[in-house]
Amino acid sequence: MNVMLNTDAATLSPIALFLQADWVVKLVMLGLILASVWTWMIIIGFSSRMRGTNNTIRRFERDFRKSDNIDDFHRVRGDDDSPVARVFAAGVTEWRRSTGQRSIDRDGTRERLATVMGAAVAAEVDRMADRLNILATIGSVAPFVGLFGTVWGIMRAFTAIAGEQNSSLAVVAPGIAEALFATALGLFAAIPAVIAYNRFSHSINRVEARLSRFADGFHTTLSRQLEAR
Amino acid sequence: MTRRDSFALSGSALGHVAVFALLSLSFLHAEKPVDVTPPIDVSLVSDVAMKSQSPNLTAPPAAASAPDLGQMSKAPPPIPAPEQPRVAAPTPEKKSAPAPKPADKPAPEKPKPAPKKPEKAKSAATPEKTASSKKKTEEKTAAKGPKIDKAFERSMAAIGKGSADAPRAAELGDAIIADLSSVIQRQVQPCANRLTSPGPGANEISSRLRIQMNRDGSLAARPELRGQTGITAENRRYAQRVAELAKGAFIACAPYHLPDKYYDVGGRGWKDIILTYKLPG
Repeated sequence: MNVMLNTDAATLSPIALFLQADWVVKLVMLGLILASVWTWMIIIGFSSRMRGTNNTIRRFERDFRKSDNIDDFHRVRGDDDSPVARVFAAGVTEWRRSTGQRSIDRDGTRERLATVMGAAVAAEVDRMADRLNILATIGSVAPFVGLFGTVWGIMRAFTAIAGEQNSSLAVVAPGIAEALFATALGLFAAIPAVIAYNRFSHSINRVEARLSRFADGFHTTLSRQLEAR
Repeated sequence: MTRRDSFALSGSALGHVAVFALLSLSFLHAEKPVDVTPPIDVSLVSDVAMKSQSPNLTAPPAAASAPDLGQMSKAPPPIPAPEQPRVAAPTPEKKSAPAPKPADKPAPEKPKPAPKKPEKAKSAATPEKTASSKKKTEEKTAAKGPKIDKAFERSMAAIGKGSADAPRAAELGDAIIADLSSVIQRQVQPCANRLTSPGPGANEISSRLRIQMNRDGSLAARPELRGQTGITAENRRYAQRVAELAKGAFIACAPYHLPDKYYDVGGRGWKDIILTYKLPG
């Protein structure tokens, strides 16, 4: 099959529109395409990571509920590379430090356990939400960048029209079409970014709630054991 | 950058390339003919009669009797009546006519003298007539089959007009190109008549348009501007508008009904032509 690039001015081929544009508009378009690539990289990476995180948390909680001995469980699963394992390991480490001394301050230990595990949860959430701000930035700025490209392109088109002393649609249309392409690219980058930002914020909130619940449950268990001493 | 990140980056980049490639490649457009040979260059005159004055290539043959070459070459009238060529022009359908006419020269043994005669007679005739009789000769030979074809080629070679190497190119003679151009001109005229002149002097601009057509007569691509002449200081500002109007006229009046056999004659033909066009008025 003989496939040809359609570089006719009368088509909406993105490559033709890009090639005809002014260099400022070209720069804007390139930046927006890069932003879009970056957005989708974050979206793909983030969704696969969130899926993995949810699975590991579910498995870890199930195994934790089944196990009787916290020390044994920590020996087996404490070094897992997952947020919930790190929260668990932080709690166990603090428990060992606090209960290693001869005299045990129960209230102080409870408080320290809560603080340490809360901090671990916050750290995990921070790590997960690392790139969400990029999505937020792209989602809010890309339309404006595209609009800038459009305004610049239309200014240039009007200059060209004035130079031609001719206002027929054939003169006006290509310049405006290529200028509007910048806005189209801005929206093309921004819409997925905004949707992904909202979705991912929501899923991070859920993971955070889940980690907090796990930490609370673990804290309850430890505090029960503390009373037994 | 972790392994997952690089996977995500490559996935995202690939997806973008795929989207832009899909939008850029013209899957929906018809394949553009590859420009292997230079398109035919024909010139359209702006004042064309709405009625054909040239041999009608699209009409079926009107006469049942096929004229023979000798008769035609013997006494060409000084100015052929407009209808005459149409009546006389045989088409390949003639081939199925039951018996070869007695007057037919092409006996297998002596093919040479027959086609030569018209050529000789032609040289004395006016150029216009030469063209039309040459065309008839060609059609005639096409209808007669290989034997006379060979003889015809030989005679063409003898007078240095064509070579046996490229016999097919010779089929698309000037006369046929002129006929094609007038047929196209007549078909585009209704659309051209609707145009309003953008300004004084605009109809002096002739635009060279490259027209690429499919076999069904529809346009294979948007008409392409290949230069303009007749631009003066006064009508310069209308030049672009004129070009757009001319393109628009050709787009509006598509598809064109042109003889199928001249669609692609050895790489040339009306599938890819350059027309010089002036706005009427």
